[in-house]
Amino acid sequence: MPDWGRTTLELMVQELQHPIRLDESFDRRVMVRVRRAHAERRHRGIIGWLGAATNISRRPAWAAALAACVVAVISVGIFRKTPPQVPSGQAIPVQFVLVAPDAHSVTVVGDFNNWGLNDTALVAENHNGVWSVSAPVHTGVHRYAFLVNGKQWVADPTAPRAADDDFGQPSSALVVEASTQ
Amino acid sequence: MRMRTTSSLLALLLVGSAFRSTEAQDPRLSNRLDAPTRKALSAIVDSARAQGIPVEPLMEKVYQGLAMGADGSRIVVAVRSLTFEMGNAHRVLGAVATTDELKAAASAVHAGVPAVELGKMKKQSGLRRSLTLPFTVLADIVSRGVPVSAATNAIKSLVGAGAKDKDISDFQRNVSVDIEKGAQPAAAAETRAKGAVVPAAKADNREHE
Repeated sequence: MPDWGRTTLELMVQELQHPIRLDESFDRRVMVRVRRAHAERRHRGIIGWLGAATNISRRPAWAAALAACVVAVISVGIFRKTPPQVPSGQAIPVQFVLVAPDAHSVTVVGDFNNWGLNDTALVAENHNGVWSVSAPVHTGVHRYAFLVNGKQWVADPTAPRAADDDFGQPSSALVVEASTQ
Repeated sequence: MRMRTTSSLLALLLVGSAFRSTEAQDPRLSNRLDAPTRKALSAIVDSARAQGIPVEPLMEKVYQGLAMGADGSRIVVAVRSLTFEMGNAHRVLGAVATTDELKAAASAVHAGVPAVELGKMKKQSGLRRSLTLPFTVLADIVSRGVPVSAATNAIKSLVGAGAKDKDISDFQRNVSVDIEKGAQPAAAAETRAKGAVVPAAKADNREHE
């Protein structure tokens, strides 16, 4: 540090170390000003109160708990929304076809109709063994199978297999995308 | 002031938990099942819900079991297995995965694909690309005899090359036809993946031009 700098610094330190004498009325004058400011703030009403700066004191533990609650509430909202609990997409007509020349009846049963055995029947127009129906299916992935003559489960030969055949019967997988409209 | 804030927060939490408890008593469980099965399924569903696993696929599994004439114990085993598989999928795919992706991923896990491989695919493909169809096709080709590693590599290469769902559907159809005609499953998957990756990548380049 150059000499001029050192000198300046020493002077500043000396000045700061020098005691300041306050006159005897100082305390009284400060308190008068504080009481006046407080009275003015009380007379400004609700608008003034809302606009005024205020000191808020909270224990750190409560602040942390409040922050944790806010984060939890927001997280629950986000995470519950991301994987929807019910199929919320629109229903799109899907054609199901099964070639079964010897069948007397064919229904399609799956996630999209809550596995209702008789809800969606296929029709063989012209009795040529080509059974079909067009049913509205919500966007998403669905498991389904054909029920032939009310007793025989048949997977859709044109669709991907559902790997989880837990009940010893074949089933298929159907993915309905909104863009397939 | 402090007491009032605390009371409000506690009330909010209590109302939330009471709602969840009511929600857990799904009326659809109570109509067509015997009491022990109902109790076991309610416990599984509540546990799944607590883990953040969507419960609608579990309900669908119950309906499937009832439609296919399965007894209560078999339905419980199937639902428990599905919950475990969806839990695995949920852990590796994270909260960004949709219910459909989890359902398809659980099917792939059920077929024998390690959940960690599905997680890698999700990271590779990004958040916007839905992997519902790729996971569904993965489960399908494994169930048709394609070894897990070959099937996983094929789907990874397709997804990595930016293949659209239609390309992956075509791939599945071709592989299944090849296998039905007598092709070795692994060879069919590897060959068809090579054929599907090139057109998919070219189409992607054309879109960017």
